[in-house]
Amino acid sequence: MSNSHDHDHKAAPMVDEVSDFEALEVAVRELCIEKGLFTQADHNEWTEYMHTLGPTPAARLVAKAWLDEDYKQLCIDDPVKASLEVGINWITSMPSNFGTPSDYCNPRILVDTPNLKHVVVCTLCSCYPRPILGQSPEWYRTPNYRRRMVRWPRQVLSEFGLQLPEDVEIRVADSNQKTRYVVMPVRPEGTDGWTEDQLSEIVTRDCLIGVAMPRADRKADDKRPVIPAIHPYGH
Amino acid sequence: MSSSHHVEKATNVGDPQCFKGEAPPAKFKVGDRVRIRNLPDIFYTRSQMYLREAEATVVKLVYESPPAEDEAWDNTDSPEWFYSLLFKQTDLWPDYPKKFEADTLETELSERWLEAL
Repeated sequence: MSNSHDHDHKAAPMVDEVSDFEALEVAVRELCIEKGLFTQADHNEWTEYMHTLGPTPAARLVAKAWLDEDYKQLCIDDPVKASLEVGINWITSMPSNFGTPSDYCNPRILVDTPNLKHVVVCTLCSCYPRPILGQSPEWYRTPNYRRRMVRWPRQVLSEFGLQLPEDVEIRVADSNQKTRYVVMPVRPEGTDGWTEDQLSEIVTRDCLIGVAMPRADRKADDKRPVIPAIHPYGH
Repeated sequence: MSSSHHVEKATNVGDPQCFKGEAPPAKFKVGDRVRIRNLPDIFYTRSQMYLREAEATVVKLVYESPPAEDEAWDNTDSPEWFYSLLFKQTDLWPDYPKKFEADTLETELSERWLEAL
């Protein structure tokens, strides 16, 4: 093979155009800064804060509820109070102090049973319980997931690798107003005698959205398989 | 932003928590059967088209809040009760397989969207 192959070309940018909504966000943000509603420094601080959020507190909440029936009941009756025990305050989160930026603070925990499986979608936009789950995955925001999950939930779940028996009722929660849903899956077999720390490690983000079920042999931070590149750099 | 803006009302209280006690008494209770009204919504709504004229069961009275159709225009004068409603999937989609008749969908609508069956 000759060496004339061109290695000098630059990688194409990941995104080569800005959507209307991104342009609108920048315009509104700059107007807010000009009018003195907040500063660029405030905005940077909020953005960084949003990126510190993740699904760990919700995984902890589920693990605690699996071990403690009273806490499980608190999760059902008063999720705001139950969230405090895993370090999440829905009411006074910065920056708005009534929920995270542009969001609401009425969480609800959907409790699965062996015969009832919940799954969450927002058909109208991409409402997501960000204070306790962090930013939503990219697929959660796609029109494909949003329009198909309500209508063909069994097919979409099977695309996630979740095949549910006929006698299990699937309940799709369409998050359309001020409630933010978190799924509490059934505690899997093979976890007898496990501690809260061990249990919280198997409750992945997808389990909390409802598109996966926890398994004793799969942790949220397991190493994923490494698939070698077909055309590795420097070939 | 006027001083009456609900951002101030919601700070350290929560939204929808800050509207608690402001709606007229709830017209429906848990277990009631309702039909979703097909109201005009030329500007803004959060009531999905696929629910219009479908029948549902009230499963929970969730909170009081101005409906999205008002709040989109900064009108918070008329909070109403919101209900969590349970639909049968086979009622919503004509091609939903009959063998999965137990499958359901849950979502929330404000009182103006509901009529008693």
